[in-house]
Amino acid sequence: MRIADLNETELDALREVSNIGMGHAATALSQMLGKTVNLRVPQVLVTDISKVPELLGGAEKMVVGIYLQILGSARGNILMIFPRENAVRILEKLLSRENSRGGLLSELEVSALKEVGNILASAYLNALGTMLKMTLIPSVPVLSFDMAGAVVDYVLVDLAEVGDQSLMVETEFFEDDEQVKGHFFLLPDTPSLQIILEAIGVLHG
Amino acid sequence: MGELTIIGLSEYGLVAGPNVLLTYGLGSCIGIALYDPELRMGSLAHTLLPTAHDVAAITVKTAKFTDLAIDIMVDELVKSGCAKERLVAKLAGGASMFDTEYRSFRGAIGQRNVDSARKSLAGHGIPLLAEDTGGDYGRTVEFHASSGLMIIKSIQKPGKTI
Repeated sequence: MRIADLNETELDALREVSNIGMGHAATALSQMLGKTVNLRVPQVLVTDISKVPELLGGAEKMVVGIYLQILGSARGNILMIFPRENAVRILEKLLSRENSRGGLLSELEVSALKEVGNILASAYLNALGTMLKMTLIPSVPVLSFDMAGAVVDYVLVDLAEVGDQSLMVETEFFEDDEQVKGHFFLLPDTPSLQIILEAIGVLHG
Repeated sequence: MGELTIIGLSEYGLVAGPNVLLTYGLGSCIGIALYDPELRMGSLAHTLLPTAHDVAAITVKTAKFTDLAIDIMVDELVKSGCAKERLVAKLAGGASMFDTEYRSFRGAIGQRNVDSARKSLAGHGIPLLAEDTGGDYGRTVEFHASSGLMIIKSIQKPGKTI
């Protein structure tokens, strides 16, 4: 199956699945922060791999990227991108203190953000797995605080090995006052995309 | 400074002095610069993967693969009048952006990119003059065709010129 061959029904199904997964993740984040977290309508972004850094706001933009692999019946990657200033605000809320605004993240801050990533990904995959009747487990999260281009290239390696296109299911989540905002990307690898679409029952041809 | 052109992920470009090529946010990717000092002409690529396994299946000329990118760049530079025996190379990037325990997962893709570039350059007989590779941080690279210099900027580290 080629990413470019996906039809509208299949893209819709991916958006819907991601919406449900993200709904659970947003609830988990709301509970953690004690604030309502909203979602935008998910988008399926099919694009040339070389254009992915632009989708993240530009290759040179400073971001916190939290990355996990999906293990189990389907494989793929999850990438969460928080613009720098939003990551800082999440930390203020979680750690209830002023953090190191200037430079790098402390060990405690890195660990807190990874935990946020872990909770979001677990809630997301749990909902997806229940719906698709498959076991989906997140790996241990890893974090990088750097330029978006540098954060994302490693994540694109799997996709680039088999083609020039990437498929990302993107959901933006935000708190009411937009203090906390981030992007959640699901990047299934190509065989897993097929497995997921088969499980939803919309695979054509 | 001349005109500035941005090279995206898996792209490459040719440049002659006084112009400049720029590529943002190299993580495990590498920036490869080839340069003919006599003509003040060169090329910069932003490559993602170490080696192309199925060369026949590749129809579009891109700099996605490190080894193929070097072949393409050498080809294009020679076509533009550079002498292959005058070409010299510089490398930047090839970092491991995420924690150490993950490096083994795909066998340190950044390091494999660097190794592939070194091997490919040696195969072409092109001397590697300088490199700024490895580490766990991203790099933005400017390649100046008038001087052959690579200016490297990072957020976490002081800048460097090689």
